[in-house]
Amino acid sequence: MVSVYRDPFLALQHELERMLTGAFGSAGPTTTGVYPAVDVFDAGEEFVVKAELPGVKPADVEIDVHEDTLTLRGERKLGEPENEAAYHRRERQEGRFRRVVRIPARLAADEARAEYRDGVLTVRLPKAKEARPRRVDISVN
Amino acid sequence: MATEIEARPKQKVEQREEATRPEAYFQPPLDIYETQDALVLVADMPGVGGDAVHVEVDGDQLTIEGRIRPADYDGMKPVHVEYGVGSFRRRFTVSEAVDREGIKAQMRDGVLTLRLPKAAHARRRRIPIES
Repeated sequence: MVSVYRDPFLALQHELERMLTGAFGSAGPTTTGVYPAVDVFDAGEEFVVKAELPGVKPADVEIDVHEDTLTLRGERKLGEPENEAAYHRRERQEGRFRRVVRIPARLAADEARAEYRDGVLTVRLPKAKEARPRRVDISVN
Repeated sequence: MATEIEARPKQKVEQREEATRPEAYFQPPLDIYETQDALVLVADMPGVGGDAVHVEVDGDQLTIEGRIRPADYDGMKPVHVEYGVGSFRRRFTVSEAVDREGIKAQMRDGVLTLRLPKAAHARRRRIPIES
């Protein structure tokens, strides 16, 4: 693929868009799915799973890694609006969620780490030693 | 017992034709509610920090914008994609007269809460709420 973007983030954005379109047809994703939607990245030594969970308290999320499977479980609570509030618009959702993600590689599950920042959950799943990229040197006689 | 959440596709902002940057923006989902003395707007903008939010009032047009950190994606090769990533922008009309000086914004865990106090003359008016 030829990328016309010199900015690496624009190139990534374009690639995400291309992969989304490929997965859901030319109209893009129009159907609802299991919450939260996840993006999975290969960062060499590890897989990185990202999920957008704005307003979710880290204490309300449970993360399990078992063999090649990551499970995210929790609840999103929006909190009570003020008294006598009249809604003009209501697009944000609350409720429980459970998401299972399979990673297509062997993982070192006990080295998994998770971080929650500004509403984005990032789970880092180091690859099992034998699944990590290795540089093989050519011996020259 | 709480209900299950459904993942809804993120809505992209239609690019204006004169846009020079090919960057994609998304429309944050939002709640807007009205109290006696204020309009309160709550928008989901995951990945946006407190220092990366911009709120602009122009007449009755309100624009919110939140920028994510592209560096969070350095060295990442996508292998499975369910949502696009980008900054957020949404523009809408505020029906009530708002006291611009009194606008308060708070960003927390990727959620923007914007409190727009009604202007004094708008506040005095009785606002009928349909039951």
